[in-house]
Amino acid sequence: MARTLAMFTDTSLCIGCRACQVACKQWNELGLETPEWTGTYQNHAHFTEKTFRLVRFIEAPGAKPNGDLAWLLMSDVCKHCAQAGCLDACPTGAIYRTEHGTVNINQDVCNGCRYCVASCPFGVVSFNEQTGTAKKCTFCNDRIHNGLGPACAKACPTDSIQFGFRDDLVAKANKRVEALKGMGFKDAQLYGADSGGFLGGLNAFFLLLARPATYNLPEHPKLPQRNVVVDSLLSIGSAILVGVGAMLAFRERGKGGE
Amino acid sequence: MLKVPGWEMSIVWYFFLGGIAGGAYFTAAIADNFGSFRDRAVARVGYLLSLPLVAVCGVLLVVDLGVPARFMNMMLHFKFWDPMSIGAWAVGIFGAFTFVSSVLSFTASESVASLRRKISLVGMLFGFFLAGYTGVLLSNSAMPFWGDSRLMGALFLASGGSTGMAAVALIMFLSGRAMGESWHKIEVADRFSMLVELLVLAIFLGVLGSAAQPITSGHLGPLFWGGLVGAGLIVPLLLNLFGGRMRALGAVSAALVLVGGFILRYVVVMSIQG
Repeated sequence: MARTLAMFTDTSLCIGCRACQVACKQWNELGLETPEWTGTYQNHAHFTEKTFRLVRFIEAPGAKPNGDLAWLLMSDVCKHCAQAGCLDACPTGAIYRTEHGTVNINQDVCNGCRYCVASCPFGVVSFNEQTGTAKKCTFCNDRIHNGLGPACAKACPTDSIQFGFRDDLVAKANKRVEALKGMGFKDAQLYGADSGGFLGGLNAFFLLLARPATYNLPEHPKLPQRNVVVDSLLSIGSAILVGVGAMLAFRERGKGGE
Repeated sequence: MLKVPGWEMSIVWYFFLGGIAGGAYFTAAIADNFGSFRDRAVARVGYLLSLPLVAVCGVLLVVDLGVPARFMNMMLHFKFWDPMSIGAWAVGIFGAFTFVSSVLSFTASESVASLRRKISLVGMLFGFFLAGYTGVLLSNSAMPFWGDSRLMGALFLASGGSTGMAAVALIMFLSGRAMGESWHKIEVADRFSMLVELLVLAIFLGVLGSAAQPITSGHLGPLFWGGLVGAGLIVPLLLNLFGGRMRALGAVSAALVLVGGFILRYVVVMSIQG
């Protein structure tokens, strides 16, 4: 495997211009959608099968260093988890990990069972009724294999979205958190940067200015498949109870049945 | 900010019919292997019921795909830890077992019957699997309630057993074969499955606590308590226990179990997707 690539989204630098969202739409030819009125500049409310980058506009009372209302901006995207629920759930092998560590859906193989949609802890994967397949951010798979960064990172005018090798970006992100804390942003924190943390780390990780819950992100996302052994054993227990019951009921009386 | 998969009525029907197919088959296999010569009639009903049901299951699954023509893509890949992947394989393999067992259930030869019993002992494992794996599939997703339910598979399995046995009993009643020792045995077996199902459901709800609210309260609450717990489990259990020699009451009990089994799949699948 080549050195892992990553995207680092520093929300403290985001100005909410949505150039990333537009660049993503253009490069990936995602087409038009009916706008959604969310009460803020945010459109849509959540990722769709045609919106892979989404700038979230969040009003957080008291989140500013001086206690004022903070207007938080965050350009959200597929996290390309090191332990990806969608990838583990996919029964056709359509969802795969690239040599760069990103997670991609092969549109020619996906048959639209939608288990990946139910298995994403972030609600990223979306089902497209027209193609009948699951859709999500490709990490601009075509671009990164041709020496270009993802379209969103390329378009970002403030370097809020940075593209590069994961280890380099994590080091840079840690420095940035320290700097922000020095400026009084006491809740500044990285989300998904730690490869020993949840889901083995996210290959698209974030710098947040408030707790993850403020951004509607799960505090401790978990791999959905973590209980498959326990659940199966409990089912086998139930099978033994039902099976033995039926066996006792049908056992020939001559052999000492009921 | 999670997304629901949009599995709706075809998946509810699949979970329900798959449970009956699995339950009817393993009941048949048990009757065939451990029962008397007369219980072979029960076994034949079970085998012959599971075959068309599993065929319908296959159709429901394929039709529900976004690209039905690509259903074979699941057969080009195998993940032993993935319920969706093993499930797709198991439906196919179980289908083959129901076919072979159904064909062999017409034999008059004792050596062929012996072979059929041995085959059904292996097929039975796939029957149990089909009845229970759908619950494990839901409980290993990122969805609230589904993903919190450690006993979803155990509950679906017990329900598959009770509905499979109820379907066999109902067919025996409707075809005028609800008599004698075999009828009594299937009623006792179904009674036991219902008891297991009630027990598992009680623990399921106890463990989940407030996480079970999507089915226990809200618009699905009345259906859950009235349709599944009341009319689909407690009433049929009482009819089964105290119906005595009135075979019609046994048949009503079986019909109610089937309705309850459908309601269980319906409320669980729709709970977080409504």
